[in-house]
Amino acid sequence: MKIGRVGTLVRNEVIHGPKDFMVALAVVFPILAALFINLAFGNIFTEKAKLGIYDQGGSAVVAVLEESEALSVSSFDSELALRSAATDGSVDMGIVLPEDFDTAVESGVIRLKAFVWGESLAKNRAVIPVALADAVRTVKGSELPVDIEQVALGDEAGLSWSNRLLPLIVLIGVFYGGLMLPSSGLINEKQNRTLEALYVTPTTLGEIFLSKGIIATTLATFMGVLTLVLSGTFGGQVLLVILVLFLGAIMGTEIGLLAGAWVNDMNSLFSVLKAGGILLFGPAIVYMFPQIPTWVGYLFPTYYVVRPVVDLSVAGASFGDVAPFIAVLAVLVLAGGWLVASVVRRMSTRALRLA
Amino acid sequence: MNGRVIGALLKKDLSLFMSSRFYLFITILSLVFYVAIYLIMPANTEEKLSLGMHAPLVPPAFEMLAAEGTEVSYFDSDEALREAVLAGDFNVGLTLPTDIMDTWADGGKPEITVYYAATAPPEIAEAVITLVRELSYIQTGDILAFDTTEEVMGPDLLGEQIALRDRMRPMLVILILLTEIMTLASLIAVEIAQGTARALLVTPMRTGDLFTAKGILGVGLALAQAVLFMAIVGGLAHQPLIIITTLLLASFFVVGTGFLVASLARDVNSVTGWGMVILILFAIPGFGAVVPGLLADWARVIPSYYLIDTVNRVANYGAGWSEVGGNLAITAAVTAVILAAGLVALRRRFQ
Repeated sequence: MKIGRVGTLVRNEVIHGPKDFMVALAVVFPILAALFINLAFGNIFTEKAKLGIYDQGGSAVVAVLEESEALSVSSFDSELALRSAATDGSVDMGIVLPEDFDTAVESGVIRLKAFVWGESLAKNRAVIPVALADAVRTVKGSELPVDIEQVALGDEAGLSWSNRLLPLIVLIGVFYGGLMLPSSGLINEKQNRTLEALYVTPTTLGEIFLSKGIIATTLATFMGVLTLVLSGTFGGQVLLVILVLFLGAIMGTEIGLLAGAWVNDMNSLFSVLKAGGILLFGPAIVYMFPQIPTWVGYLFPTYYVVRPVVDLSVAGASFGDVAPFIAVLAVLVLAGGWLVASVVRRMSTRALRLA
Repeated sequence: MNGRVIGALLKKDLSLFMSSRFYLFITILSLVFYVAIYLIMPANTEEKLSLGMHAPLVPPAFEMLAAEGTEVSYFDSDEALREAVLAGDFNVGLTLPTDIMDTWADGGKPEITVYYAATAPPEIAEAVITLVRELSYIQTGDILAFDTTEEVMGPDLLGEQIALRDRMRPMLVILILLTEIMTLASLIAVEIAQGTARALLVTPMRTGDLFTAKGILGVGLALAQAVLFMAIVGGLAHQPLIIITTLLLASFFVVGTGFLVASLARDVNSVTGWGMVILILFAIPGFGAVVPGLLADWARVIPSYYLIDTVNRVANYGAGWSEVGGNLAITAAVTAVILAAGLVALRRRFQ
């Protein structure tokens, strides 16, 4: 293998690659996905009870409620809008605070109108009235008749919903480009018969695969970092995060090269992606829904990419904490590399026979 | 339009499909995975806060916890309670002091300990703490007088919540259908690229015959997969005719979109690229079915909204023809437009 030839191939890919729609898509799509996911879900997926308030008189209670960690509070400017929100599930409960609410708090009976979403959970229907009562007592200045000591058990902090979606963002960023670029590129080469033309040159198939792999890995790593930056979670041990993303990019590239080697047209590639996509994005689903046992994640190869990224970026884990996962990831990458090399040798042997 | 020609084309395409064990395997495998995703999701919804309590003496007010959207389990010791919370058996644990009533009687402040797992969402612990505060006020005689007029919006599903995996069915089945956009578009794009379509045009076959055959194949493949998935996951348990009708319309929608993509894309790579963009766009309303209230009204401008909303309302809420007729009408109209546009655009490309 000649490094110079690989460099030439890489340079050609860099020059002509941007003209390829797939390259543009590999850049644009992860960015759009990251922005969309953060904007759409970052503050919406939550265990908090959703309270809507139509405050007719500027009550002091509203500010207290908005500070509650147990609630997600939205304000509405009309009763009609509040009813609509309670009907479609935007809020678990909507309450109308009359103009004289604060006066009533001081004097006696507090009159309210409440709209309850029919699908709201029992716990949310319980928490909201209690939180409202608590806020009223705060405004009244009532003295709490109990001392409450809070004790956190265990070392790991809970993940917010925006962080639960982080694996999905990482997987899109790293694997979309890493997988699609080499696979579609190789298929394109096959269909245009340019691979066969290259067989008569000193360039080897291994060099072609390597050049495509370098391009895909570089872009995938960059996109992984970029999506983390856009998500506001690129921090902690930066170099270690980049290392994991790099290894993940190699994994994605290896899968892409294998797919490009084995399938002969885009339709087949698409079918592979349709079936295998669940295997790639399975860990994202495991993180999104904690009801799913953690061990399920171990079954997916990509888990060993997202787990250390999340632990390092969000939980502030040390190298020792994520070393086992990185080790497994490295083994998977080596195995993938061996598999790609085997396929290349087999393809080269077949090409020689055809020649 | 020549039925015999269409039949021959269909036979050819089906033969190619069936002879490709790879395609068959992948198609079956993808369905298995989607079903697996459904099955792995929780079959029930946790309606109540799960709370562990160690309380040698339970104040009367705290006995109201069970009626306050909370499931309470009692422990004999503080240590056992801590272990249960740490193991994730309970969201939060409470330890009340043995002399809690005496302390209150003396005008003092008893100390209540709230345990929660560090991995638990902070809002859960806060919710329980809020409950404890309120119950403490009530126990000491400080009761607020609320006169609340309450109205439940929509059907009251308290105790009968729709499970997460059932909420996902509309999104999953639409994803199965939408992925066929790329399949069909790729098939057509490959035929164009390889010149086989033009070769066929010098035969007695007309373009209409070719499009009809491709359309039937596309509808068949999409509909078969979608119906099979819904049947397996229980989506046909209520109003199966509406579900199948909706999926049929969705299949035509998919075919029309596939035609459009094939006509506009320059090559197979472009088909995949643009197909992915369209798939993501059309999948957005599915999230609204999983999380009610998530999407604003703007989602209605996405054509697939009406498909997903129909499947969701029928499969999860038992809606009938009268409730979803409007959705079906809109879907049929949009599908007709897309299909017509796709046919026109594709015909122009062939000429």
